[in-house]
Amino acid sequence: MTGHPTNGLDDTVHQRHRLGILTITAEARAEFGYLRDTLGLTPGNLSRHLTVLEEAGLVQVDKGYEGRRPRTWVRITGKGRAALAAELAALTELVRRHHGSPAQQPGLTPAPGS
Amino acid sequence: MAGDQGSPGPPPERPAPGGGRGSRPPAAAGASPAGEPGLLLADLARLRRQTRTARHAYWFPLILFGVLTCGAAPLYVAAAAPPPASGAYAVRSGPVLLGGTPFGTSTFYIGWYWAVALVGGYLLTLVWYRRHAGRVGVRTPARGYLITGVVLTVLALAIPPLTGWLHVLSLVWLPFGDVWIRGTLAFLIIAIGLWVLAWAERSRVLAVIALVYTGAALLSSLYNVENVVFRLGWNPGRSAFAWQLTALPNVLLPAAVLLVAGCGAFLAQRRQGRT
Repeated sequence: MTGHPTNGLDDTVHQRHRLGILTITAEARAEFGYLRDTLGLTPGNLSRHLTVLEEAGLVQVDKGYEGRRPRTWVRITGKGRAALAAELAALTELVRRHHGSPAQQPGLTPAPGS
Repeated sequence: MAGDQGSPGPPPERPAPGGGRGSRPPAAAGASPAGEPGLLLADLARLRRQTRTARHAYWFPLILFGVLTCGAAPLYVAAAAPPPASGAYAVRSGPVLLGGTPFGTSTFYIGWYWAVALVGGYLLTLVWYRRHAGRVGVRTPARGYLITGVVLTVLALAIPPLTGWLHVLSLVWLPFGDVWIRGTLAFLIIAIGLWVLAWAERSRVLAVIALVYTGAALLSSLYNVENVVFRLGWNPGRSAFAWQLTALPNVLLPAAVLLVAGCGAFLAQRRQGRT
């Protein structure tokens, strides 16, 4: 990242619900209903956010059935992990500059294995 | 942060009912976008903790393997029977690495018991995690746990017989007789599985449990735990059967660690599920 930390913010990722989707899926593969309930989105809104992220190659959406129930699972890609890490780094740097000291935010480092 | 930078711009979201499953609205909802990166970061950290908590389900394999270990206890008691007066030993080829010393028929049954119990236990755990994922909506990748356990079990079964054809394999297991001679190698296979599961679950608590259990498994493999129990005042008596009972502490110590940890994890995870 060069210059001001906002230069490191990606327009696709830098949206609170998309960041939420990436954060959750970086932790574990998540089902559509879990994302919808946890983020407080309507199914339509969540679908649109997922489409944006999927077209950018940041998540992969797997649709299938468990028994007779249709289930949609979302998982983060390697590119998505890198984008999330870059976004978190940029936000952390913004906080650090704002406060003029190293940020001490809980759980900001990317998950192990990311 | 711009509410909807980038394309396409979704229509306004419905209000978050209490912030989804959490107690706060989702990431900085309604906050001044660019001015609240700290709040946004805190909310993302909360989302991550919430998701991690939702997928924790490790109480089941702890209790399952604790029960399976208790189920093996009678076999260890039988295997501790004194040798016949004639001094002749029955030698029965079997899974020596899982069963322990090849003398006597009871260790043969210990070996096969653990071969079935380990593979079955790992498979049941995978099924459990699949069901848990279907219920809560987040999936722990438990396949690595299954593969680790099954591969180690198959290796323990296959290496001794293969040594007959490939003598160099004896270096893999014969020098480490202290680890398997008591028929406790299964405990170490369970311990390695717990470490893999702790990594998959990203759980520090499970890592601590795995550490304690590994210590108990090593102690049971390398030391006669009944010596400690004797010092604490336990005296099984002088009969032959009482003598056989002295095999129990080596089995029940790792089982107790699993059962106590599993019950604690069950209560904790049930409480978290309610909140």
